[in-house]
Amino acid sequence: MSFSDQEILETVRMIELETLDIRTITLGVSLWDCADSDLDASCEKVYAKIVHHGKDLVAVGNSISSDYGIPIVNKRIATSPIAFVAAACGARDLTPFAKAMDAAAERCGVDFIGGFTSYVHKGYTNADRALFDSIPTALATTKRVCSSVSLASTRAGINMDAVNHFAQVVLDTAHATAEQGGLGAAKLVCFCNAVEDNPFVAGAHIGAGEGETVVNVGVSGPGVVRSALARLGPGADLLAVAETVKRTAFKITRMGELVGREAARRLGTSFGIVDVSLAPTPAVGDSVADILELIGVDRTGAPGTTAALALLTDAVKKGGAMASSSVGGLSGAFIPVSEDAGMIRAVAEGALSLAKLEAMTSVCSVGLDMVAVPGDTPVDVVAGIIADEMAIGMINNKPTAVRFLPIPGRKPGETVDWGGLLGTAIVQDPGRFGARVLHARGGRVPAPLQGYKN
Amino acid sequence: MARRFLTSDDLRRMAAGGKEVVVDEETIVTAAAMELARAHGIAILTGRGAQWSEPRPDRGPDAERAQRMLPHLPEPAGDPDEVVTGVVVTAVGRNRPGILAEITASLAAAQGSVHDISQKMVEGYFHMVITVELPPGTTFGAVKRHMECLGGPEDYVVRVMHERLFRFMHRI
Repeated sequence: MSFSDQEILETVRMIELETLDIRTITLGVSLWDCADSDLDASCEKVYAKIVHHGKDLVAVGNSISSDYGIPIVNKRIATSPIAFVAAACGARDLTPFAKAMDAAAERCGVDFIGGFTSYVHKGYTNADRALFDSIPTALATTKRVCSSVSLASTRAGINMDAVNHFAQVVLDTAHATAEQGGLGAAKLVCFCNAVEDNPFVAGAHIGAGEGETVVNVGVSGPGVVRSALARLGPGADLLAVAETVKRTAFKITRMGELVGREAARRLGTSFGIVDVSLAPTPAVGDSVADILELIGVDRTGAPGTTAALALLTDAVKKGGAMASSSVGGLSGAFIPVSEDAGMIRAVAEGALSLAKLEAMTSVCSVGLDMVAVPGDTPVDVVAGIIADEMAIGMINNKPTAVRFLPIPGRKPGETVDWGGLLGTAIVQDPGRFGARVLHARGGRVPAPLQGYKN
Repeated sequence: MARRFLTSDDLRRMAAGGKEVVVDEETIVTAAAMELARAHGIAILTGRGAQWSEPRPDRGPDAERAQRMLPHLPEPAGDPDEVVTGVVVTAVGRNRPGILAEITASLAAAQGSVHDISQKMVEGYFHMVITVELPPGTTFGAVKRHMECLGGPEDYVVRVMHERLFRFMHRI
């Protein structure tokens, strides 16, 4: 047990000055056994099961934090997709499930719970349709519930009917929460190649292949990578940049591995994955955009940004893969516009357009995230943007997502400030051309050749 | 028949005007069922005739295996004998006489054995790093809480971290 002063001070510096933290310990709870032909009985079971398993989560998270001296920012719960659980009751309005989840999350002391979820990448069950129709009310009448849907996959193609439906759901959710600046849409995300062990909200849920309970850990550290690259300086070549990011990601992931093992031991469950994602916050220095600019673009969104982001995402994954055998989730770099001070600045200065953001999502770990558009954006435009994002994921065999925020009453260039982790959004211009015929056609984009592997 | 949940509906049906229902020890009784039982004076009993109380969460078959296997996951350390309950104490602050004595006295009170110590002065501020081995049975949390009460905002700040974190971050 001997460490050099340099090693010790490096760790202390990362935590104290560079905002290294465990972003979330997320307890996955299977709700398969909560299905019931009676809606009220099913909701009673959902509440009971979540509280039964989740009531110790916050205390365990806090005890690990205090025992190891590691900041653990959030404790969250992810459930099985509610559409599966709700199928047996045949209800058309699934809002009561969201309310049961919300109440359970409050009882457990967690700020968000994910799992108001449905998989429709190939087709709808009656319960899926009910879930889609319930999302606007469910998110407007609850505080903690997050909703996610799977609209496409490399294996199945893009369910364009579901994309169209979801586009309308996003607009309706934003309008249902107009008084809060359309905040409901921030709790709603769609995926291509949805990740079934994602610990980060809004997409957190546990998929069909997961066990009864599982602990997944999300670890973050844009500030640490940023500082490491600042110390490296502009003279080093890109190989040195990649190596620096990789080494830093290794150390960050190791902290996640330690916390994951410990959380699993203390909760008496299994350790699922560490999601090593550079997840920015509005705090100064905790920015992925700053990293891209340190790699060498004048502003995020300038030419070279996609290449810099590709290098970053890949190096984070490589460092993570060496550090843990359980790397999973969405590991890589998140680019949520409103939550990253550097991204907001880039939008304000006209460097980062919606089109460039879309290009960046082809190499980042997720997709279009926390992008604000005017509240009166036509549904075919929203559907077109979602379809584009799904196509990037489908063809590249990667998860992509869209968390879109149509802000009621706002025009391009105006801002909306939600405060806290959600940050400030500048409304972006989706352009004046739409995709009316594509939208009206509906149907399914068939699975690409990449999906036909057997 | 095994019963996973007891909902308020189940309770109404099973009590059928009576004053008790019997469930398995592992059954999860919903909050609504508990409330209903209290309101109507219905006793919820287990097969053994005892009052039902909330069972320990059954985290599932994977969890059972994980709990067996977790202790066998390799720890990042060269020599397993090196793995002891260790803490890393760092202190930063304005220099004045007696700081080292205060810190080491606190460590001595916890029966800690100092493994390594170093101190540097930078522009009137001291930076101290001490690695300490704690005897078996010592609670890390208690030592940490005690140590972090030393000093103060105008004086010096002590931070205590578990040695395992450093092993994870700096060793393969």
